[in-house]
Amino acid sequence: MSDDAVFVIDHSRCIGCRACVQACEECGTHRGRSMIHLDEVDAGPLGSRQTAPTVCMHCTDPTCAEVCPADAIKQNEDGVVQSALKPRCIACSNCVLACPFGVPKVVGEIDLMMKCDLCLDRTSAGSKPMCASVCPSDALWYGTPEEFAATRVGTLGDVFAFGDQAVTTRVKVVLGEEPGPLDVLSGRAPASWLDDPFALGEAS
Amino acid sequence: MAVTAQPEPRPAPAGRPWLAGLDRRGVLVGGGLVVLLLVLVYVGSEGLRWFDAALAGYLVGTLLAVFGTAYRYVVWVERPPTRALRARGWQAFWGSGRRLRNLARLPDVLWTRLVGQGFIRSRSLSRWIAHQCVFWGCVLAALVTFPLTFGWLHFESVGQDDARYRAFVAGLGTVEFESRSVAGWLMFHALDVAAVLVLVGVFTFLVRRLRDPGALAVERSGDFLVLAGLFAVSVTGLMLTVSSLWMDGRFYTFLTNVHAATVILGLLYIPFGKLFHIFQRPGTVGLAYTKERWAHEEAATCRGCGEPYAPATQVDDLRRVLPELGFDYRIDPARGGGDHLGFCPRCRRALVARAQSLRVGGFG
Amino acid sequence: MARPPLPEEELVARFGPHRNDAPPDGWQHHGPIDREVRTHCCFCGQQCGILLKVAGDRVVGFEPRYDFPFNRGKLCPKGVKRYLQDNHPDRLLDPLVRTPAGFEPVSWDEALGRTVRELRRIQAEHGPDAVAVLGGASLTTEKSYLLGKLARLALGTRHIDYNGRLCMVSAGVGYKKAFGVDRAPNPWSDIPHADVVFVIGANIADCAPITTSYIWRARDRGARLIVADPRVTPIARTADLFLGLRPGTDSALLSAMLHHLIARDLVDHDFVAAHTEGFEAAAEAVAPQSPSWAAAITGVPAARIEEAAEAWAAPDTGMLLHARGLEHQSKGVVNVSAAINLALACGRIGRRGCGPNMITGQGNGQGGREHGQKCDQLPGGRDLADPRHRAEVAAVWGCDPDELPAPGHSAYEILEAIERGEIRGLLSICFNPVVSLPDTARTRAALERLEHFTVIDFFLSETARHADVVLAGSLHEEDEGVVTTAEGRVVKINAAVPPPGNARRDTEILIELGRRLGAERYFPYTSNREVFEELRRASAGGVADYAGITWERLEAEDGVFWPCPHEDHPGTPRLFEDLRFPTPSGRARFVPTPWRPPAEQTDEEFPIWFTTGRVVSQYLSGEQTRRIGQLVDQYPEPLCEVHPRLAEFLGVVDGDLVRVTSRRGSIELPARVTATIRPDTVFVPYHWGGRKAANQLTNPALDPESRIPEFKVCAVRLERVAGRAT
Repeated sequence: MSDDAVFVIDHSRCIGCRACVQACEECGTHRGRSMIHLDEVDAGPLGSRQTAPTVCMHCTDPTCAEVCPADAIKQNEDGVVQSALKPRCIACSNCVLACPFGVPKVVGEIDLMMKCDLCLDRTSAGSKPMCASVCPSDALWYGTPEEFAATRVGTLGDVFAFGDQAVTTRVKVVLGEEPGPLDVLSGRAPASWLDDPFALGEAS
Repeated sequence: MAVTAQPEPRPAPAGRPWLAGLDRRGVLVGGGLVVLLLVLVYVGSEGLRWFDAALAGYLVGTLLAVFGTAYRYVVWVERPPTRALRARGWQAFWGSGRRLRNLARLPDVLWTRLVGQGFIRSRSLSRWIAHQCVFWGCVLAALVTFPLTFGWLHFESVGQDDARYRAFVAGLGTVEFESRSVAGWLMFHALDVAAVLVLVGVFTFLVRRLRDPGALAVERSGDFLVLAGLFAVSVTGLMLTVSSLWMDGRFYTFLTNVHAATVILGLLYIPFGKLFHIFQRPGTVGLAYTKERWAHEEAATCRGCGEPYAPATQVDDLRRVLPELGFDYRIDPARGGGDHLGFCPRCRRALVARAQSLRVGGFG
Repeated sequence: MARPPLPEEELVARFGPHRNDAPPDGWQHHGPIDREVRTHCCFCGQQCGILLKVAGDRVVGFEPRYDFPFNRGKLCPKGVKRYLQDNHPDRLLDPLVRTPAGFEPVSWDEALGRTVRELRRIQAEHGPDAVAVLGGASLTTEKSYLLGKLARLALGTRHIDYNGRLCMVSAGVGYKKAFGVDRAPNPWSDIPHADVVFVIGANIADCAPITTSYIWRARDRGARLIVADPRVTPIARTADLFLGLRPGTDSALLSAMLHHLIARDLVDHDFVAAHTEGFEAAAEAVAPQSPSWAAAITGVPAARIEEAAEAWAAPDTGMLLHARGLEHQSKGVVNVSAAINLALACGRIGRRGCGPNMITGQGNGQGGREHGQKCDQLPGGRDLADPRHRAEVAAVWGCDPDELPAPGHSAYEILEAIERGEIRGLLSICFNPVVSLPDTARTRAALERLEHFTVIDFFLSETARHADVVLAGSLHEEDEGVVTTAEGRVVKINAAVPPPGNARRDTEILIELGRRLGAERYFPYTSNREVFEELRRASAGGVADYAGITWERLEAEDGVFWPCPHEDHPGTPRLFEDLRFPTPSGRARFVPTPWRPPAEQTDEEFPIWFTTGRVVSQYLSGEQTRRIGQLVDQYPEPLCEVHPRLAEFLGVVDGDLVRVTSRRGSIELPARVTATIRPDTVFVPYHWGGRKAANQLTNPALDPESRIPEFKVCAVRLERVAGRAT
């Protein structure tokens, strides 16, 4: 993988297959534990079963690191926010509660915060993160911006508005043709067939 | 006890003398501890009578390490999140009307949190064994080296035949032992035992690291530096014994200097590197009491899903700490008010996913 | 009597399914890797490329194959955790015979001897056709080929069929009728070039997950997506148009679309006139099937049907993808023909981005149905009833054409013949009918009537519990051969490790059985390669022509698409590019699709439609995937999907236990209340056996042409039972 490869998420494409969750468990930096969140999102008129994956967004100014009382969360030279340093982390959960994306997990029995570290074992050896590699729908994707432009539509966004706080991240999300910060409190979906997939409101 | 919101002293802007960037409290505490230690050395060695000038280098290294560690500790412990959690720890331990019960439980908490290190054992047995070896090796070495360096501990022979010794601590005679007994051997070779323990631990760590591609990937140079340092200290220390026992003292002086150099460098490294966790880790004791207390307190409920997701106190603490760190997660009153911290982590993930999908046309 | 020797609980305690949750030596172990073996995932017809990591003759991990063009590193959760089927505590390590005390390990000599003795005794007493053979479409093509040869030349029975009878046969018949070939006409790389993608009766996300990326590649080019399904499947959520039809009404929907194309004159008349036949008859058949008529049948508003027809017809290119939803019906073939008619009416065949395509389900669902384990078929996709075909294969096999038996019963008919006492001995491999056939109780009762039953398997499946002899066979990664993917691409399966313990490669077992049955001269092979070389010759000149395919080419070219008649031939990724079809007239054929309702209707007693399908974490009867801990956790037990309206009517909330009852049986399971299913329909996945088997309810009504059972449609009633899911 070239050095300028980026991790891209398009939550809307998730099919809920959990290949990423299963693959994450194979990542060398946390073998046997999956760091990916795959949530059912009560989104849209059907109100059920839509899924979305979340990996660490690797903020350029990570809130989790700032609120860590043990000074245990570090960024490496590439801006990857790493899992907590094992000797320091005391599993207080400050990072879990402060991360605007809801990413870190505290693993109780080992008193340690763990999170996605962008598959450092793989990316540092030139291969794709396991989750982005396997994802059947390209909801999780890893490659260069040029590859993205050549094969996908939409623009890439890396600025998020959480209330008054703007957060810039290393991981990008797919936006529509309109660029600009992603306001996480944006409104409702436009009307579509999804409002009534089985035409219960129509005489058929 | 309320946490007062004081702005974090910012690092000095460029252009000002570097001394001005120093934390005054850190300098004061560090300096104070150095002076205190010097006094204790003077008193403990009966007015330097038992102070071994050959160990002066160690003393200087120790004093620098004490200053550096104390300085860093003070700076660290005054960071807003650390300060807030520290305050909660004391509050839970000492301010809650459960003092007696807390005190009674303290030995158990100390044992499980700091000595037994069960959380490492849950990660992996070999990692735990390695850490225990290094831990006990270092504890043992510190118990011997520092008192010797400070002149607090010395041995005197009892009788004429050099067979019996008595250990003196701060000038007071304590145990008496046969030099050729097991106890005697252990007493004189305590540092060798410590070195062997450390080496076993270091090698176990090293094998783990080299075989585990994941560990290698997140490797920071500091991790290997520590192992290398521990290795150097232990090996040069053992070489001293080898030299005196089997090599008729050849290279002894040279080895003494090398060993001293490794130890002093190691001491100087403590405030800067991975080993600083020795001083941070005890914070986990306060956290244990805090979590216990939080478990009985009110939980914050998510403004999205209505489910409880965290201790309300902790969330409120973060609400105070975040602005001090330069973050503002408040939400405009016109859009519902409050702040983003009011959402549980799951709802935060859902918000991002939903907003993203709307931007690309939505999902079902 | 082939009855399980011990209660189910004791057999489960001894033989599983148990879970395997971690690689050998645990997650924290990081030993050196001896080799990485290029092979494929075994868990569906897409056959994603995968590297298995081997240490000390054990599979210890995997890596996706980024170089394999089909999946380019993509895998579904089954592919990711596939390697945990190795080093499994349930693995059979010895041949077993049934004793009153359970199953006892015996020597191979004793086990094989007993199988041969018993089958021969039955044939001596009741004739050669009193013994039947059942195969499966997860076997390599070589094994499928050997099994067909074993049945016909060593056992001399007419009755051999395979579990593809529960899978691809409706599509097979439909495509043979229309095009003369039973294969998906397009490589998957055509999908991104379609301007409209129409998915009907195919839950892409759960059953063919990697296909999702192909559809998105089309959509990234601007393609529209139409999905027809009784459920808003994950791929449907983002569709431009959704047709939420009633189960069992697919042909009405598709016929109404054709009706609308004709009414609006959106038919490609030039193409129809030049390259097809039978259009008039098909048009006549759809004349009464107007969109408004179909709206009443399907539950889809007429306007949406018309919109879909126009969206399908408008652009230059379009692909129609269908799977078992369309085909698992007593009119599966009619449904498939209706789909093909839509493609033909718009001239969508033989071009890039154009074509109707079936999505083959099983690991070797394509290759396993080409070379002779079907009841009416000989290698090369040849017809067992055709004297010329019989002579061709007999020449390769060195036998008299008259030695080849006539076509026999299909899979479900074999079961019915066992029930009637006509078939008394059975040899089965890669088939778990106790879970996979409709009407489970009947299946069990039938198996219990067998005088002798031998199963070749690597785990003791629900079916193998009935066996007299269990021959410990091999996993996918323990034997070498070829399979053919959903695209028609022949790929190479490489052995990563030898079978553990005393287990043997399936290929060796089949060859040894052939020899012990006295057919030494037909089973002279000393290696798997020799089997493949003979298969090449046997297929030469057939429709599924492998003559030009070599193992070396498969490795060097990332697989070869059949037909490939000689070694200089590049293979045929896209069929019919010259618009010549291997039908008698050389034209593609429209097939009339008159409306026929499902075999069973809802009524007052059974007012709700019942349909079944897969979940992404499980594969078929779950024989392998129910033994992989992480896959079990992902979807631990079957749930009954119920629409909130129906749930409210029944007083059921999410997680409540419900009892679903059909005319054949009933099942109790937790309700999963979701607005993604039609309110008049409930859905249960079918991967579990025993009291959790969805097939206790399903209707064994067969399609008259394909003999596929109607898994996807029957009538049930639903009631809440006390208690909650635990």
